[in-house]
Amino acid sequence: MKTIEYTITDELGIHARPAGLLVKAAGKFQSDIKIASPKKEVDAKRIMGVMSMGAKQGDLLRLTITGADEDAAAEEMELFLKQNL
Amino acid sequence: MGGGSAAIEISAPLAGTVVPLDEVADPTFAQGILGKGAAIIPAEGRVTAPADGVIDVMFDTGHAVSMTTADGAEVLIHVGLDTVQLKGAHYTARCKAGDKVKKGDLLIEFDPAAIKAAGYDIVTPVIICNSDAYSAVEGAKPGSISAGGALLTLKK
Repeated sequence: MKTIEYTITDELGIHARPAGLLVKAAGKFQSDIKIASPKKEVDAKRIMGVMSMGAKQGDLLRLTITGADEDAAAEEMELFLKQNL
Repeated sequence: MGGGSAAIEISAPLAGTVVPLDEVADPTFAQGILGKGAAIIPAEGRVTAPADGVIDVMFDTGHAVSMTTADGAEVLIHVGLDTVQLKGAHYTARCKAGDKVKKGDLLIEFDPAAIKAAGYDIVTPVIICNSDAYSAVEGAKPGSISAGGALLTLKK
């Protein structure tokens, strides 16, 4: 299992576009990827779930990645968060 | 969930002109990153529920709302492109997460003229976020549609 923590710096937080892109990035991997905001934990491969976290600027996100390709997934998801959020 | 192989219908949340999703000037929608669907150029400033169901996300900014229909379809209605940037100006949310709604219930009010004047495209994509759950998501033919008219047909 791999864990990533990231604090959102984008002033708009996770709205529709970043939610779609995050789900697309997560969907490339077989591993189970969970993402948690201070409000709730959801499946990072489901758009509705990711949008429903209501993640804002300053919120700490915690990703938990479990599976055969967890190392590659963790690397890519961390890069995604830095570049997009 | 819907019974058997019956198609699920998602209604137009507002009156206007239907345009194919791939003609929307935002790759997130046009490329289907959020799911399949169709878009409407609004002729009015009211978004109503496209089916019976439960509100999942009412964005604080009022520019988008998502719901799960009684049939299990996850619908996102995004009023205008890039309108998250307006930070709530010209939008009034009329529902909240967890609300049970009936088709036709008011979800959002907005001011199309003010949003256009602020420089934004008001085209409103209506997206099925769980498109993978369906064998087909078919949009209505381009052209005028009334609120409550058949916009999307989902096949299991």
